[in-house]
Amino acid sequence: MNENEVLAARERLAARQAELLNALLANGPAPAGFDEQRLAVERRALLSKRRGIVRMLGPAVADELGERFRPLFDAYAVEHPRRAGSRAREDAASFAEWCRAAGELSAKRKARWKFWQSN
Amino acid sequence: MAGIEDLGVGIGWRPEIDLTVERLPGVDFVEVVAENLHIGHLPESVALLLERGVPVLPHAVSLSLGGADEVDLHRVEHLGAVAEAVGAPMVSDHVCFVRAGGLDSGHLMPVPRTRDALDVLVANVKLAQANLPVPLALENVAALLEWPDGELSEGQFLAELVERTDCWLLVDVANLYANARNIGTDPERFLDEIPLERLAYVHVAGGEQHGDIYHDTHAHAVLPEVLEVLDELCSRVSPPGVLLERDDNYPSDAEIEAELAAIRAVVDKHRG
Repeated sequence: MNENEVLAARERLAARQAELLNALLANGPAPAGFDEQRLAVERRALLSKRRGIVRMLGPAVADELGERFRPLFDAYAVEHPRRAGSRAREDAASFAEWCRAAGELSAKRKARWKFWQSN
Repeated sequence: MAGIEDLGVGIGWRPEIDLTVERLPGVDFVEVVAENLHIGHLPESVALLLERGVPVLPHAVSLSLGGADEVDLHRVEHLGAVAEAVGAPMVSDHVCFVRAGGLDSGHLMPVPRTRDALDVLVANVKLAQANLPVPLALENVAALLEWPDGELSEGQFLAELVERTDCWLLVDVANLYANARNIGTDPERFLDEIPLERLAYVHVAGGEQHGDIYHDTHAHAVLPEVLEVLDELCSRVSPPGVLLERDDNYPSDAEIEAELAAIRAVVDKHRG
């Protein structure tokens, strides 16, 4: 296999994989030939895994949102698919910011002066 | 080449169950998730296991070897550094892609079983191997969906991968069971087609059936059906090691111990 052949294979594969992830993570159109129901199952599974990680990393946010956590996270997630190279903690922080901007979470509390500190 | 050393029965080390792993009887080896370890700051519990002489195998989840992009050598380098830090005889990742088109799926996605995908995977695996200090084993993943135009069965795909790269195989029998349930893979045919002499070790994990879909959650008990797939594998080859993966919803020590014992019973049955 020469390098050019591998490069050409990489390009063809890249287009197909990007199309699938776009459909699963960013509400893109379903790629040809896939079972629509299975795409929906996979979409839910990926979303649920991501939601679980964000809940684990930011339990205070999830607690404050209560029952709103799930619908809000799901709306945020499809608008903000995770970028390659991003970290789960950044995802959790960005979700919290998104909620604050939408007025769904109280403003971030500033670190309070400790009573023994003079000001 | 001779098979790898006899590992026995092991469990995936996780920070949440570090004390459990330390005190459980019958843990012959452990795996650590390579991405969660920092060189120079090994968790105390992992250091303790190493002192006891328990082999620690780094398992990676982010190389995206089946991805269209050239494998990220920084990630490979980290995996290699973890292997050296714990003196591992081998490292592993999956036959999957994680990232594509600038997005991160956060999961181990199946690759299409096409010539293109195989050629790219082979190129990435060779590049990774050239930059790793120890042999690389690759694991079959659980798929919830099937790419439309597979040219090879999963077993054929992995057999050709081994032939072209000389990698080892990490066979996850829970993933095999999941694929049988969800996409109709035949586990026996899979086991017939892969080169069992290149089997590094085996993964076992729990999951849950939701409607017509089996979810490989690593957060539920191991199903008897999964142990049956292990039994089928053991009837063909004595696996160098078998490792239980539990990642969430951790049960009592006694339950984990019972799962390890059940695994050992299947392995021992065939050793006579």
